[in-house]
Amino acid sequence: MTDEVKVENGLFYTSEHEWAKPSGEFVIIGVSDYAQAQLHEIVYVELPKKDASIAQGEAIGAVESVKAVSDFYSPITGTVVEVNDALLDSPEKINSDPYGEGWIAKVKPSNWEANVTKLMDAEKYKQHIATLKH
Amino acid sequence: MELRKTHIYQYHVEHGNVVDFGGFAMPVWYEGIIPEHKAVREACGIFDTSHMGRVYTEGPEVVKFLDYVDSNDVSALTDGKGVYGVMCKPDAGIVDDLIVYRRSAEKFLVVYNAGNRAKDFAWLLKNTKGFKVKLTDMSDNMGMIAVQGPKAAEILSKISETDPNAIERFNIAPLKISGIDCLAARTGYTGEDGFEVFIPDDPVSEPSKSLKIWNDLVSAGAKPCGLGARDSLRLEAGLWLYGNDIDESTNPVEAGLKWVVKMKKPYFNGKKSLEGIIEKGVPRTLVGIMLMERGIPRHGYEVYDGEKKIGVITSGGVAPTLDASIALAYLPLEYKEIGKEVQVKIRSNMVKGKIVKHHPFYDESKYGWKRVKV
Repeated sequence: MTDEVKVENGLFYTSEHEWAKPSGEFVIIGVSDYAQAQLHEIVYVELPKKDASIAQGEAIGAVESVKAVSDFYSPITGTVVEVNDALLDSPEKINSDPYGEGWIAKVKPSNWEANVTKLMDAEKYKQHIATLKH
Repeated sequence: MELRKTHIYQYHVEHGNVVDFGGFAMPVWYEGIIPEHKAVREACGIFDTSHMGRVYTEGPEVVKFLDYVDSNDVSALTDGKGVYGVMCKPDAGIVDDLIVYRRSAEKFLVVYNAGNRAKDFAWLLKNTKGFKVKLTDMSDNMGMIAVQGPKAAEILSKISETDPNAIERFNIAPLKISGIDCLAARTGYTGEDGFEVFIPDDPVSEPSKSLKIWNDLVSAGAKPCGLGARDSLRLEAGLWLYGNDIDESTNPVEAGLKWVVKMKKPYFNGKKSLEGIIEKGVPRTLVGIMLMERGIPRHGYEVYDGEKKIGVITSGGVAPTLDASIALAYLPLEYKEIGKEVQVKIRSNMVKGKIVKHHPFYDESKYGWKRVKV
């Protein structure tokens, strides 16, 4: 069913398939290609709240397909400075471009150095996905 | 445990996203739930329903027996006609919903839910006591394919020897499809026009007839559909899903199924309890909810009126045809009024919804088998 799962270099991943991408003083967060392929046909996204304080590992939103709900766990700790409102009308952008137009939120990190030690780089995440395939 | 295979299994593993569905290896989708759903509302889709229970019930007292276990009026059927009904326990709890088709005065085909195959057969068998009837479980020796949508008859006619349009709604008749002797019933679980095709003498271990018909239907232009679309289509049509909307703890009156319960019959399982239930009145009823804000209501979510919890969603999801989120829930009677506002608790959010008509949710002049043909 899934052809080739894309894992983008330079991003940091959680075992729950979220990603974090440093961008200047901010970090962009979203869900991985593996996550969108598993969910298939994403029809609804519950975005985190702007200005909310979030903690690494905390459920701050949800991504839903027709059949399933997947909680979105924050990959990092910080404050949400922007959310991707475009996903409210076009949640399928997560399917078509999970690392680009399908980004979920922009966060001002407060503890990046500690957070990143708990995340996987692209190589490690690829190995992690490989263990999930049957 | 190894999953049970249906007649169309070979196609599922090659083309579908296969999951464990009540012990059967079944596809949730092939291309996707939304395109498959739309194909059935707009043209024609096919479903493997070979996992369902199919039992031949025969004997001189078959009408008497079925009138005893089924809530609906089986004695009113003539040859080639079928009827939807429920089987109740003595306390009126629903054992299952089912369709019985009269093939002849002493032979009926009984079709019930896949998830209840063992339970229902045992229930029927237990109730045969005192009746001159014989049950034969055909499920593993008979394929079953649902051909559904406004173009179902047109597509099926391409591979049938005679015109399937000769079969009227809720009737069943022999039909030669792909050169194979089948039975076709004009029924389904999508709200649309369509057929449920039974393919006899086709063992699940060597299901060449069923696979041929399936592949010929695909070649004729039918879109293969998985369980995901089957669920979203039946929800839009407001059709009950056993295990969600009805079960042994619900009775047909509160479920909105009183129309399949024929209280004039002298006796049937559950009648006495139903008399009491009808006389006292039910405190709750199954209603339809449409959300007025963003969110997807799902099975098990709570329904509120302000601070007060008033019920739980039994089935819910997105309605691709309506571009809306819809749900079924048991609520106190005063909430059955169309337009009444309620809230659905989705994670930590209270999302606004309103009561809408739900059998079906869609406009019947535009969708479903009663739609105005253009």
